[in-house]
Amino acid sequence: MRVLVLEDEPALREHLARRLRDSGFVVDEAADGVEGEYAGLEFPLDVAIVDLGLPGRPGLDVIRAWRTAGRAFPILILTARDRWQEKVEALQAGADDYVTKPFQFEEVAARLQALLRRSGGWSQPVLRSGDLELDTAAQQVRVEGRAVELTAFEYRLLEYLMLRAGQVVSKAELTEKLYEQDFERDSNVIEVFVGRLRRKLDPEGRLQPIETLRGRGYRVARD
Amino acid sequence: MPPRPYSLVNRLVVGLGLLSVVLSAVAAVALDALFRRNALEARYDVLDAQVIALIATADLDPSGNLAPATLAEARLATPGSGLYAEIRASDGSVTWRSPSTTGSGLALEARPAVGLRQTERVSLSDGTRVLAQSLGVSWETGDGPARTFFLSAAESLEPYYEEVARVRLWLAAGAGLLMLALVTALSLGLRWGLQPLRRLEREIAEVEQGGRELLGAGWPRELSGVTTNLNALLAGERTRLARYRTTLGNLAHSLKTPIAALKAIASSADPGTRSQVEPPLERMQSIVEHQLRRAVLAGAGSTVAAVSVAGPLQDLLGALRKVYRDKSVACELEVPPTLAYPMETGDLLELAGNLLDNAFKYCRARVVLRARSRERADWRRPGLEIEVLDDGPGIPASDRQRVLERGVRVDESVDGQGIGLASARDVAAAYGGSVEVDGGPLGGARVRVLLPGR
Repeated sequence: MRVLVLEDEPALREHLARRLRDSGFVVDEAADGVEGEYAGLEFPLDVAIVDLGLPGRPGLDVIRAWRTAGRAFPILILTARDRWQEKVEALQAGADDYVTKPFQFEEVAARLQALLRRSGGWSQPVLRSGDLELDTAAQQVRVEGRAVELTAFEYRLLEYLMLRAGQVVSKAELTEKLYEQDFERDSNVIEVFVGRLRRKLDPEGRLQPIETLRGRGYRVARD
Repeated sequence: MPPRPYSLVNRLVVGLGLLSVVLSAVAAVALDALFRRNALEARYDVLDAQVIALIATADLDPSGNLAPATLAEARLATPGSGLYAEIRASDGSVTWRSPSTTGSGLALEARPAVGLRQTERVSLSDGTRVLAQSLGVSWETGDGPARTFFLSAAESLEPYYEEVARVRLWLAAGAGLLMLALVTALSLGLRWGLQPLRRLEREIAEVEQGGRELLGAGWPRELSGVTTNLNALLAGERTRLARYRTTLGNLAHSLKTPIAALKAIASSADPGTRSQVEPPLERMQSIVEHQLRRAVLAGAGSTVAAVSVAGPLQDLLGALRKVYRDKSVACELEVPPTLAYPMETGDLLELAGNLLDNAFKYCRARVVLRARSRERADWRRPGLEIEVLDDGPGIPASDRQRVLERGVRVDESVDGQGIGLASARDVAAAYGGSVEVDGGPLGGARVRVLLPGR
């Protein structure tokens, strides 16, 4: 999952970025409105966190610019003024949810998860595909009711595929969304991880939860 | 309450009305006196002419009595004609009387010195008032010394009195009409003249109710100073308020972000440092939230414009539907489209936002937001009632008062009903209103806010 943190206060931005990276997000950082607007227009974001009080260009204008340009990724706003008028304006401009400063990181993370789920078309925190179940709140995976232990990267890989259930996800997209930019992009690595994930989820090869479409990518079936 | 002073129009109408009454009366009295003097003088002239005519025609008869040979005036020959003539000797004995005096009972007593005139008023036997003029005349006799005679002419005053009465009637009627016309013209003129004051009163009331922002243009010279200053005052107040609120908003923003950063840093510190740093941070946060939130409220100033209630509430509902998309809440908005109340839109959103957010957060599936206008005898304008109901667990009766107090959270884990309700109460208080919490017909909480009409 690729997230943009658009916040001008360095301590807060760095803290958010670090905690998000720890949770498995690929994080882009921007400190002012102009830089942030560019990042939102140019990077393949899954979600953005936007502080409304920004130097350079107000957060509200940045959101409008993204929406006008057709960017549909969910936007979580951070607001310090805590006036309902501001929240209503931001939500009308195209934001999807808000968190009031100061906040606990867990709250931001929970809101992000919910936004990502929603943008993938899921209204419940538990994503299901056949006998495969992924609980985004508890970060747990079950197959036929049996808990499966996954590494953090495997979990993120499966979560990404399941959020996009029913869609074909290319290896390039997975590399982009699951690795920091400066990592070496080798699609073979993704193949290796998908292979491992398949073995953990479906050791006997009965369920085939992840379909491979040759030359195009992977797909998890949507119920 | 001290008695209300009389209105300016009434004062001026009464004062100038009294003056016009006095002036009309004085004019009537003066005209009456003038008329009477002229009328009497005309009568003296007539009498004088008769006396002169007597002198011209009179002669001593053989018995030594002075009498006119002929009568120039026919009225003197007709009894009861109203014109009389008489000649008396110096001892007062009558030497001649005009035939018209027959049976009249005319008795004159004037004895003017020779060459002088004397007037007198007498009454005849039938009560007729008569004006008489006598002239003392020294008459040369052929043989003896000259003798003195009194030649008199008299005329009934009744026609004169009748005329005076008639003229007085006309004068009274004229003066009355004049007064009426003056008072009417005065009050109409004053009403017209004071029209700008009424307009000023109306426009100030409109500013007060929020119907307009400033007073209009085009005032008479006498008022333009007042209206210009008033407009400057209104604009100044608005600018100051806006600047004050922007400053506070910026202050809130610039304080909260560092607090958020400090909290973030503290959350990664070791437990000992955390337990030391976090309580004061929490306190800073609650002070900033509470005090600054209250300070940025516009509240019920004298220049708050009336805003439509339905529009902002719809926007708010749209925003909350987005935030609570996962929850599929059925929210009914019952707001008359024309409902308006003098309130800052931000404050309205703050008030309704906090209540509605709670309702969305705690409801199971249903929320009702109702707003309507409320009338009360002691309000000049209608007040506003906002009611939010949900079908959630509700607030226990024992907590209902407590949740309205700042910082008390019934549910400490999420930022519970308390913080939203307390914020709503702060907004309501800024408009002199009140917040009540009870159980509603949907089974959950019902919060009612009543903002008074001013």
